[in-house]
Amino acid sequence: MRSTVNDIMSTAVSRGLTYQQKLFNLANIAERLIDPQENLDYSDKEIEYIQKDMICDLNEGYAIYRPRYIVPDYFIYLKYGCAFLDIKPPEDLNELLDGLLILYHHVPSITSFPVFIGRLDLLIDPFINDEKNDYIKIKRFLNHIDKTITDSFCHADIGPKATKAGEMILKAIIELENPTPNMTLRYDPDITGEDFAEMAVEACLKVSKPSFSNEKLYRQDIGEHEIVSCYNALPLAGGAYTLLRLRLGTIARSADSLEKYLNVVLPQVSEAMLSIMDKRIKFIVEESNFFESSFLITEGFLKKENFTAMFGIIGLAEAVNYMLELENLNEKFGASVRGDEIGHQIMEKIQAIVNNHKGLYVERTQGKYLLHAQVGANLSKEDQFNTPAHRIPVGDEPALPLHLKQAGQFHKYFPSGTGDLFAFDQTYLNKPEAVLDIIKGAMEIGYRYITTYLENTDLIRVTGYLIKKSEAKKVSNGEVVLRDTAIMGEGTNENARVFQRKVRNNGQ
Amino acid sequence: MQGYSKEKSEIMDSKAIINNILPFSNVDGPGNRFAIFFQGCNANCIYCHNPETINYCKNCLKCTEVCSHGALSVTNNKIVYNDSLCIFCDACLHKCPYQSSPKTKKITVDQLYEQIKFYKPFIRGITVSGGEPTLHKDFIVELFRKVKKLGLTCFVDTNGFFHKKEMDTLIEVTDKFMIDIKTIDEVQMLCGIEEHNHLENLNYLLKMDKIYEVRTVIINDFMDAHKTVAKVSSMLKAYPHVKYKLIRVHAHGLKESQKEILSIKTPSDEKMQQMKDLAKKKGVHTVECIL
Repeated sequence: MRSTVNDIMSTAVSRGLTYQQKLFNLANIAERLIDPQENLDYSDKEIEYIQKDMICDLNEGYAIYRPRYIVPDYFIYLKYGCAFLDIKPPEDLNELLDGLLILYHHVPSITSFPVFIGRLDLLIDPFINDEKNDYIKIKRFLNHIDKTITDSFCHADIGPKATKAGEMILKAIIELENPTPNMTLRYDPDITGEDFAEMAVEACLKVSKPSFSNEKLYRQDIGEHEIVSCYNALPLAGGAYTLLRLRLGTIARSADSLEKYLNVVLPQVSEAMLSIMDKRIKFIVEESNFFESSFLITEGFLKKENFTAMFGIIGLAEAVNYMLELENLNEKFGASVRGDEIGHQIMEKIQAIVNNHKGLYVERTQGKYLLHAQVGANLSKEDQFNTPAHRIPVGDEPALPLHLKQAGQFHKYFPSGTGDLFAFDQTYLNKPEAVLDIIKGAMEIGYRYITTYLENTDLIRVTGYLIKKSEAKKVSNGEVVLRDTAIMGEGTNENARVFQRKVRNNGQ
Repeated sequence: MQGYSKEKSEIMDSKAIINNILPFSNVDGPGNRFAIFFQGCNANCIYCHNPETINYCKNCLKCTEVCSHGALSVTNNKIVYNDSLCIFCDACLHKCPYQSSPKTKKITVDQLYEQIKFYKPFIRGITVSGGEPTLHKDFIVELFRKVKKLGLTCFVDTNGFFHKKEMDTLIEVTDKFMIDIKTIDEVQMLCGIEEHNHLENLNYLLKMDKIYEVRTVIINDFMDAHKTVAKVSSMLKAYPHVKYKLIRVHAHGLKESQKEILSIKTPSDEKMQQMKDLAKKKGVHTVECIL
C-alpha cells in the first residue's frame, strides 16, 4: 500500500513511538511514496487488487533495496572472520559473542533487524570450557540481543542434537523472560534426546519458546534450511526476496459460488500476485545492487542462488465459512467435514497455480515460489476478517485432539512455513513429557511446526512472534514501548483476540 | 454400604458403563494418556472426589428436576442425557441420592478401541480408572489386548481391593498399576469396605515389577498416617523406580456433607512434610507431596 506525505509528519510527531521506531517507519514511508506502476511496472489490475485488500504486500515498499528475509551462514564467520568488518575468526567465547553482535548490526531485512541470528547452540558449543562463567556470558549475550534488536521477528535456532550450549541457552531464556530472540528447536525424535526435548517443552511453557519445527519434514522439502522470523523455513545462506499474501476471506466475498471462486476469482488474483512477485524480484536482483554491494554476498555469508520467494495466504477460515454459507450449511471451519473439503479445494487450486508458475531467480527451490501460511498483521480493516494462515478463528476452536487433526491436514501445502499454537493450563508444567507426546503426535500426522505457552504467562506468542501482554497493554494506553512487535501484537489482538485462545486441559 | 452390585457388572460385561473419558490426561500415568473412568466402585471412601462413580443409576429421575439446561430428559421412564446441552454444572450429581450419575454411557470394547485409535499419535498409552476398574476385568483384558497392538502402554489405576487370583489375566496384560494404599488398618472406617488385601496385592505386584506409583491420601483421625506411610515406604524401599505420592485431603468441589467432615481433618503443612520426610527416611527414592 502506498504512503502519503502526511504519513511523514504524523510519524515524526507521534507520541507513541521511540526515536528508532520513527526512523525505521520514516524509511518505510519513503519506500512506499514511490509509485509501483512507474518504478516496478505494476499493472492497473494488480494495483486494483492491492487497493481492494485482496492482495497485501505487507508494506514492503516499492524502492526495494534488500531481500525481505536474509539467512546468513554464520559459520563463515567462525571459519574466516569478516574482512569488511575487520574481525578475525573467534578464538574464544568472548570473541565469538562479540563478533556475532557486531554482525547482527549489519544483517538487513524488511524490519531492518536480523530475522535470523544463527544456530546458536552449534555456534557456541565448541567454545564452552567453563560452564559457570560461560553461562553468565551466554545469558548476557541473549539479553543484549533483546535490548538492541528491538523486534521479536529476530529468530535463533537450536537442535536437533542436545548440546551443553543448547541446555545453557534454554536455562538462560527461562531466567530472562525476554521476547527476543524468537527461538525454535529443530526437533527430530530420532536425534533429539528426550531430556533435551523436555527441557525445551518446559521453557516453551514458561516463556513461550522455543517452538518445535519438524526437522525431518523441512529437510525433505527445503534441504539445508533455517527457521527464521515467525516460523519461516528458508534456505541457509539465502533467504526470501519477498512475501506477499492473499486475503482469501476478502477475495471470497467477490464470488457468488465456490465454483466461481475456485475457477475465476482465485486464479485471477493469484496470477496477479505472482506477477507482482516477479516484478519485485526482478528489481531486487537486477536493479537494487544489493547482490553487488553487500559484503554478506562477497564474503560468502549469503549466495544469490540460495534465495527464494514466499507466496502467502491468510483467511482460509473466512473463505471456507463464506462458501459454507453460500451452500446453506450451518457449519464453521474447524468443525465441518465439508469445510475441510472446501479448504483442500482452495489450497489445491492455489498450490497448482503457484507450482505452475516459473519463478524468477529461484533455482534453489526448483524455479518455484513457496507457499506460506502467513500469520497475519494489522494493516487494513480487512485483517479483521482474515484469520492468520489456515488457522481456526479464536472462539471456534474445537477440543485439542480434534483441533490438532484438523490443522495438521493443511500443513502439507506450506513448504516455507506454517504452524499452530496452543495455550495449556498450569498442570502441564508438572508433565512436560505429556506435551512432548502431543508434539510428537502432531509431527507424526504432518505438522511442520507447533508451539505452546501457559495460559497465564505475560510472555505469549501472538501469531508467530512473542510479546509481553503487559507491553501490549501499554501500547493500548498510548505509551511508548521498546519493541515495534508489541505495537503489532496489540493491533493483532484487537483483530483476532489472540489473548483469549482456548486453554487446553484434559484434551479439551 | 450402598455397594457395588455384582449382577450388574456381569450383565454389562460386553458393554461397560463408563462415567467419563479424557482423551488427553496428564495426571493418569506417564506422558499424555487416554483415560477411561469406569462406573462402579467396591469402596466408598470418606474423601471420595468422584462419588458419582460409585453406584449405578437407579433411574429415580430426581436429577432431571434440577437440570436447568435441558440436558436430561425422560423417555420410557429412563433418563436420556444429551451432552451437547450440558453445561457441566454438576447439579444432577449433587442431587443424586445414590452416588451415581445420569451421564454415564454404555460402550463396547470396539467403540472404545476406535476412539483410542483416533487419538493414538498423541498418546503414549491408556489408563483405566474409575470407580474401580478391576470390577470390569474381563472387559479391560479384552480392551488391553487390542490396544497393545497399537503399541500403547496399558495402565490400571486401582484402589487395591481385589482378589488377585481372579485378576491373573488382567495383571498379565497390564503394563503397570497405580495403586492406592489408603490406610493399613481401620479400612472399614475410611473406605467403607471390609477387604484388607491391598497390601498383599501391592507386595505381589511389586515383585512382578508391575507398579508405577503408590498413593496415599493423608487425612487426620480417619487413618494412622504415620503407620501407613511407614509401612508402604518400607515396602517400596527395594523398588527405587516406584514413585510414592502423598496427597493432602482437600474438600474442593465436594458435597457439603463431605466438606463438613474434611474441613476439620485436613493435615497441616508440617504434618505433610513429616510424612514426606518419613517416606524418604524409610528409603523411598521418589516421594511427591501434593498439597
